[in-house]
Amino acid sequence: MNCEVCQLNELEVEHFEIREVLRCILHTVVFHRALGLVRPKDIDLELFEITYVQCGDAELEKKIDEKIDQFIGWVEKHPNKKSQICLSFYEVKNRQPSWFIANKVERLYWEQWYINLNVAQHTKAHSSKSHHSKVVVDPRESAPEERSARRAALEASLREVLFQIIKFVNEKKDHVPPIPTLEGVVCFPFEITIPSSSDSFGMDIFKRMLQTGHPTMLS
Amino acid sequence: MAPSHGNSHSEAAKIEQIITEIFHKSLQIILEVRAPDTSSRNFSGEQAMSSPSSSSSSSSSLRARDKWFNLALRECPAVLENLDLWRQSNCQRMVVDVVLVQRPVDWDSVNFSPKGNSSSKERYPYCWNSDQDEFRGQVRSEKTIERWVLQYESRKVKDNRSSGSRRSSNNNSHALYKKSILLLRSLYATVRLLPAYKIFRDLNSSCQIRTFSLAHRVFSHDEPFSRREQAEMQRFGFTPLETSSGRLCLSVLYRSSELDMSSESSTPMSPHVISDYVGSPLADPLKRFPSLPVAAPSSLPFSRRHSWGFDLYRASPPLVSFSPSPSPTYSEPQASFSNRSSCHFPPMSLPPHPPETSLAYKKHTSFDYCPSPAFSPSPSASPPICIPGSHLSKGLLRSESAPVNIPTSKLGSSPSLSNKQYLPPSPPIRSTRSGTLRTDNCTGPIHTGATVEQFSPGKDEIRKYFGMKISANCSPQISYSRSSSRSFQDDFDGSDFACAFDVDDDDMTDPRSRPDSFDQKGHFCEPIEPGGFFPIRKSHDAAVGDLVRMLKKAPPLRAEFSNSLNVPQASGPEIWSNSIQERKAAVQHAASASMTSSGFVTLKTTADALEELQGYREMKNLLFEQGGKSYT
Repeated sequence: MNCEVCQLNELEVEHFEIREVLRCILHTVVFHRALGLVRPKDIDLELFEITYVQCGDAELEKKIDEKIDQFIGWVEKHPNKKSQICLSFYEVKNRQPSWFIANKVERLYWEQWYINLNVAQHTKAHSSKSHHSKVVVDPRESAPEERSARRAALEASLREVLFQIIKFVNEKKDHVPPIPTLEGVVCFPFEITIPSSSDSFGMDIFKRMLQTGHPTMLS
Repeated sequence: MAPSHGNSHSEAAKIEQIITEIFHKSLQIILEVRAPDTSSRNFSGEQAMSSPSSSSSSSSSLRARDKWFNLALRECPAVLENLDLWRQSNCQRMVVDVVLVQRPVDWDSVNFSPKGNSSSKERYPYCWNSDQDEFRGQVRSEKTIERWVLQYESRKVKDNRSSGSRRSSNNNSHALYKKSILLLRSLYATVRLLPAYKIFRDLNSSCQIRTFSLAHRVFSHDEPFSRREQAEMQRFGFTPLETSSGRLCLSVLYRSSELDMSSESSTPMSPHVISDYVGSPLADPLKRFPSLPVAAPSSLPFSRRHSWGFDLYRASPPLVSFSPSPSPTYSEPQASFSNRSSCHFPPMSLPPHPPETSLAYKKHTSFDYCPSPAFSPSPSASPPICIPGSHLSKGLLRSESAPVNIPTSKLGSSPSLSNKQYLPPSPPIRSTRSGTLRTDNCTGPIHTGATVEQFSPGKDEIRKYFGMKISANCSPQISYSRSSSRSFQDDFDGSDFACAFDVDDDDMTDPRSRPDSFDQKGHFCEPIEPGGFFPIRKSHDAAVGDLVRMLKKAPPLRAEFSNSLNVPQASGPEIWSNSIQERKAAVQHAASASMTSSGFVTLKTTADALEELQGYREMKNLLFEQGGKSYT
């Protein structure tokens, strides 16, 4: 099975915008991959005039928010860096254990989404780690006009990213595995990979290769 | 062979069913966020505590159709209507136009018609308008801001009887179903990213009056856009779904400038004064009219004084204050009575208030019964008059929560009144009041006063309204005095009122000792210009003339005089002389008859009669003096 990869357009965000942007993108992707029975929930962004859709699954929301919190923590420790978040969907297959593979369970990644963020340099505001935290406005903001222009540009870019996701989902359908019929399973299993604090981003890729046994196709 | 053939047929049926459900689900997804009145978009408020897939019970609560494509949406009846209509035509193509309808700015020119307007149905044959508004050809502009086209292009079914077809056919339906899910997920997200969604949200969420609305139409054959329109629109196409029997294509043409359109249209309407607006106590129960001396807020906020509140008239004539709602009714009839009645209300003849009436009056005087200046329809702007409510029950008061269209049928010969100026639409009092008969009857002159030019009630009407046999110029005030102690039902029986001067003793009380309402009635004695309800100030001579006429028409005293000693009911300068002569003869008769009667008859001499006459003269003078004082 091929692993389809989608590199989303880079977004220039400020620190306080990270949570909203990531929630929007991650939930949009997950919604397109939550092929189980869902009751969609519309969510309005606070910073932008964009409405995205969630699956309405509390566990999914929790999992995503936890990853976002980790990423924000990493950004605070590594300012002024371009960062990338990888959302990967995989299939779980049993594999016979071998001497270099401890886990019996093998993950077959069939799709990966790369979210590219360029966190602005002057973002230093502390963000709450609560799941329901409000967006913290950067106190050191530039002129209102400049800020509004930048915000509008980001909104347009974010909208383009969402359309990019939709197009990708529409164009690539054959690689999607059969819909899980198990009760309680809403979405294909996935993981969110953020840059680790100690290792480089490449190390994360290497770790994934060890787990999957499949070469990661980078486009 | 047979099983594969049968399987192929079942497979084809499955595919056909999937395609049909795709149409249904697509329409539902689109209209959910494009038709504000059918919006059922967010499950968040009603979402189960747990995920719908986490428990079988929550999943089973969904209807079968909701589970299609694993996308639980609420059913919209309007969607079903559109689907039914669409299915009657070409079932392989569905076009959904989302139209931005610009409303006319001038609301008065807009006639809201109930659903089923033929013109709108012609334009939107398979749809309903959002906000349940329909404009009777008053639509200023319509612009199609979105066009969704869902089309299934069938092709010749290939022969699937070859080996392996069974397996592939099974995969076809499953694969198609999976891809359909992905397609509808994309559609669900896309409809919320397009510019029209913002307009939908504005219409749904804002309480502001909008000059635009969203409408939609669903049909099978679309009218192609002009080149100019196509140039203004952008296209987004979803990847077609390939099936063994055809291809399903979904695309949308949309305008990217709707944001500007909605922002411009969101300007609130400039406020303007509605001159003939009549509010409701429910909206503003404590609204006061500045000129009114009413002080205390109403204890019964819905107890409006209506012109048809005849109880009030019975109790005392003059001072009436109105609530905003019925105010136009009150001021208008004054004109009619001013024209009709040649007498004013001498204070002395004002009815005393029996205990219950006075109590009720006091109760009602605390009502905030003040029309707003804008409500006074009379050009004369007659001052509001406080009518004490003597017999209004609580039920009546509560029922009078809104202005009422006075039923003209009960008014007999009263013409159809143009209530639009004076009476705001409201439920009829008749159904809510206990004293309906009296209410309706009493509204007659009030209403006619509202259109004084049109209606001039005759004597019978006046009698009916005031329950007494009086001439057209008779002072209604006297009727009030009579009726103050009577029931309303009795008042309408004119035979009970034999004479205008058949008053109670307490009618002769000093007008200064009147209840508060009359103290407040600086309005009553003030000149009330035509258009007011109650008789305006009349000349002293006119009042005397009225009395004289009454006396002339009064039944003779002969029969009564033979049985008992009765005080002459009325007197006037002319009548006195006549009556003296009559009584002289009557006395003589009585004197002769008394011999044969029982002991009830007393013999009267002429001197006694003259003394009696003198007393009446003094009484008359006293009345005139008191009347003169009040009008000077």
